[in-house]
Amino acid sequence: MTERTLSGIGVTPLSGVGTVVWYRPDADLPEPPAPEDVDGDAELARFEDARAAAEDELEAERERTAERVGEEEAAVFDAHVQFLNDPQITDGVTDAIEGGLPAEHAVQETFSEFVEQFENMGGRMGERADDLRDVRDRLVRVLSDGERVDLSSLPEGSVVVAERLTPSDTAQLDPERVAGFVTVTGGRTSHAAIFARSLALPAIVGVGEELQSVEDGAEVVVDGESGDFVVDPSDERKEAAAAAADVDVRHESVETADGVEIEVAANIGTLADLGPAVDRGADGVGLFRTEFLFLDRESPPDEDEQYEAYVEALESFDGGRVVVRTLDIGGDKPVPYLDLPDEENPFLGERGIRRSLGPDADLFETQVRALLRAAASADGANLSVMLPLVSTVEELRAGRERFESVAADLDAEGVENELPEFGIMVETPAAAFMADQFAPHVDFFSIGTNDLAQYVMAAERGNERVSDLGDYRQPAVLRAIDATVSAAEGEDCWVGMCGEMAGDPDLTELLVGLGLDELSMSAVTVPQVKAAVAETDTADARELAERVLQADTKAEVAEILTLDQ
Amino acid sequence: MERTVTVVPEDGLHARPASQFVETANEFDADIQLGRADEDDLVPAASMLAVTGLGVGHDESVRLVAEGDDAEAALDALEDILSTPEAKQ
Repeated sequence: MTERTLSGIGVTPLSGVGTVVWYRPDADLPEPPAPEDVDGDAELARFEDARAAAEDELEAERERTAERVGEEEAAVFDAHVQFLNDPQITDGVTDAIEGGLPAEHAVQETFSEFVEQFENMGGRMGERADDLRDVRDRLVRVLSDGERVDLSSLPEGSVVVAERLTPSDTAQLDPERVAGFVTVTGGRTSHAAIFARSLALPAIVGVGEELQSVEDGAEVVVDGESGDFVVDPSDERKEAAAAAADVDVRHESVETADGVEIEVAANIGTLADLGPAVDRGADGVGLFRTEFLFLDRESPPDEDEQYEAYVEALESFDGGRVVVRTLDIGGDKPVPYLDLPDEENPFLGERGIRRSLGPDADLFETQVRALLRAAASADGANLSVMLPLVSTVEELRAGRERFESVAADLDAEGVENELPEFGIMVETPAAAFMADQFAPHVDFFSIGTNDLAQYVMAAERGNERVSDLGDYRQPAVLRAIDATVSAAEGEDCWVGMCGEMAGDPDLTELLVGLGLDELSMSAVTVPQVKAAVAETDTADARELAERVLQADTKAEVAEILTLDQ
Repeated sequence: MERTVTVVPEDGLHARPASQFVETANEFDADIQLGRADEDDLVPAASMLAVTGLGVGHDESVRLVAEGDDAEAALDALEDILSTPEAKQ
């Protein structure tokens, strides 16, 4: 058999070998048989069995979610059980079966009617339509008797192939058993791509319709670096992929060739990202995006739940620093229970620290309490906190005062607490321009390059038409970084970077040369960046940075960096 | 037996409050229906679809109608849910 290569966008520098499992959650049912060929009693019995099995599944998922995430999130499964057993649904399905439809078609027809009704009502009803769809798909899956793939129990070495993968799909995937995934649609910043990077899974997105020609059960190689998806690979190809998968992970901290230690940390969103971060050798966490603790649920996590999460992150690293960013809600991160206003330009609107000091003051206070308590836990000395989207010194002061006043409240209540190391994200041009004024008030800066590039270049993230402008190799972005680092020099203020740029091993030497003390990235690129740090000589790096800062175009920046390789 | 109650939870009769409401309605030996206070139509309180389908929001009023042995106890329990600001844990 000769190998065949399809190409897409590789989203992780990892390779995997495995067997294709097609995931088609919305596959059409086959045409139903003629009504006279349908045994009504047998179909009714099948429906009753399926309903019982679906209810068992839901109860189990409810338990698992209550345990792993929380009681509040688990409540959605109660609603699913109620829809499953709703008299209007069961009557509708029974009528449809008696009218001559097989059970799965009757389920599909009955639910779809209600889904449509709810969708037409709009607003909150739209969410209920999603719940109904979930219940319908579950019943149809149970009825089709395993003909539909269950993502949570795939055989070891599966390569999941799908049109697209939604957040609820990826949440079910077990990274220990999945060798990678490949999708028809999607780009570098799609949900599936970010998920792949945080769990260190080989993945390719955006392969296009040609992917449909790959058959279930085919042996494949997923090269997440080049974006090559190889069907029926040769033995040499498989060996090469297996060798590439065997990266050299350094668990100890790393120094440049001339002995300067650079902290290489991981960005995390949820506690599920901690395992991969440790496995890939991260020294700690450079960006804990705490808003992920608040998304995809019906009410915010309480103080104790947050405290547990922060302590768990601290305990995962042997003495490694954990930088927690306070809530960054707004912009592109909707939260169902917060009733966020519709803004014309959400990225320029009320988000980040602006909400924490404004409408979300209560949420912020709860988070600050949890953080101050976590700072007094066994590994609490390693905790650092930073405020997102700061653009004025007043915001910094107000944020800091909140920490101090809440600490005083906790003292008065007799609750153990400590003030953690305190910093801000530098991601607005205002913060970069004013960095010398901010530096005396903070212990550190963390440069968020995704937003910094967007705001410096006035080029929206994720808008492909302006992606060339929003590139972090634009000279203006590099100068904003240089201005920030220079402003912190001579102050007791270290400077880190979180964002895609920090995880690009081709830029590591430049970033060391610009004077960054810490680099934080998706777990997957930690080994490559650590290797790049070890090869860097700081004197050469500084000289490189000086030349790059003189470049007048992105093309020239890229050229200097390539020649240097 | 009939009662008019104002819906206090932020979410209205959705999500968690709705879920609790339907669960509670199913626990009693009574035939319970509800509707918007300003409309004549009633729907079964034991149906999640019907209850959420009413689309009742925070601060709106609903009419609860119950018949059967447990009617009074059922109305008390349901009123309690509708008048509690946050759904109980």
